[in-house]
Amino acid sequence: MRKFLLPPLIVLFFIMESLFVEFVPPTVFAGNYILVPHFLISVILLLTIYGPKNYGVLYGFLFGLIFDIVYTEIIGIYLLLFPLVAYICYRLMKILQNNMIIAVLISIVGIALLELGAYEMNVLINRTNMSFTIFSADRLLPTLIMNFAFIVIVVYPLKKHFEKLVLSLDS
Amino acid sequence: MPQFFLNKRLIILLVSIIILVALIGFSLSGRSKLTWPEQFIKDTTGWVQTAVSRPTHYIVGFFGNLKDLQNTYTENKELKSRLDELARLESELQMVKKDNTELREILDKKDALSAFEPKQATVIGRNPDKWTELLIINKGTNNGIVNNMPVITANGLIGKVKNSNPFTSTVQLLSSMDPTNRISAEIQSENESVFGFIEGYDNEKGLLMMKRIPSDVKVEKDQTVISSGKGGVFPKGLLIGKVVEVVPAEYGLTQTAYVEPGAKFHDIEHVMVVKRSSIQPELQDMIDDQEEEL
Repeated sequence: MRKFLLPPLIVLFFIMESLFVEFVPPTVFAGNYILVPHFLISVILLLTIYGPKNYGVLYGFLFGLIFDIVYTEIIGIYLLLFPLVAYICYRLMKILQNNMIIAVLISIVGIALLELGAYEMNVLINRTNMSFTIFSADRLLPTLIMNFAFIVIVVYPLKKHFEKLVLSLDS
Repeated sequence: MPQFFLNKRLIILLVSIIILVALIGFSLSGRSKLTWPEQFIKDTTGWVQTAVSRPTHYIVGFFGNLKDLQNTYTENKELKSRLDELARLESELQMVKKDNTELREILDKKDALSAFEPKQATVIGRNPDKWTELLIINKGTNNGIVNNMPVITANGLIGKVKNSNPFTSTVQLLSSMDPTNRISAEIQSENESVFGFIEGYDNEKGLLMMKRIPSDVKVEKDQTVISSGKGGVFPKGLLIGKVVEVVPAEYGLTQTAYVEPGAKFHDIEHVMVVKRSSIQPELQDMIDDQEEEL
């Protein structure tokens, strides 16, 4: 049962990202900050950390492809970055001890890597002319803070859910 | 065999980078149509998005209405004061319209560059990664939408259709950085209109850039910028915005005007896709005509 609930759950976060940018105006906080929701990758990273083995990378690949086709229309950027970031976090979690604070921090590191990777690729294909200083001050930092808040909210229920999923797959 | 595994991983990484470069190159190659698996995935997710975004729009709209109610009194006062002026303007417009049709009949000129038919559409999604500004709307080729059609809101032009699938389409906003995003525009002034191209968007200032304005003309602040209709796809007279500032361009040969867009690029719910109704001669016909003349 939980196994079949997983794809709709991730699809929900996939659509939530788009709804977030549609409804939250860019001037909601003072200043010229660009807030980018990374709910989907947050959930995929938590799935990598707490869920069954290899699920994170697999879902990263699948939803990276859908994300590129539906939202960005440049196939390849998130198709590579989602599974890559999930894999890096998977390796990191093997080295570090598994507690909730570490998991949240690793997810933030993953999102930072994703943002940096996407920035570099967009500079390479000439889709942006934002300088690195402006990028890090106006986009990276506010984005990380916002996604940190999101992860802190969802980490506990998702941890419970994914751990039960592992148990139900084992039995 | 740790050495072997290391190599295997390296090979996977290299192969995936090659595939990645090929895929990005393929998507940036300026293709006019998406492949059918892409169209299928886009339409399917579009359906799910519609199912989710309709109730969300409803809820957000409800809170928006509550907020509006608080301002009703002051707004009503202000609107009443402008009502008298409106009545005068309307009668004037009627007169001018009548004049225009009569004069057109005399000249036997049936279609104008400014004639268009709008098609209503609702926004069901937006690109969350904010590098390219794309909207997803719920009308597609089945509703007669084709690539490159202009998209407007009540306040002015916001972008053009980038790709159209059977049931959904993507709209590229004017604020997204794309060298191929270029619109032939016109600055209205008392004597003679000034022509140029809307090319690019200044992210920090939040202003559009209108380039290639001849350096010898004088452009003033607060002049209105509209689409010129010379590009072929866009009809004439779609409002783009107002001039804020004029600076000489890089080499001083032309001028660049900063234009404040009339429409907001965020919080867009309903849009209109514009179909130009004046007939566009086919390129082939024009070439044939020339041959006959010779």
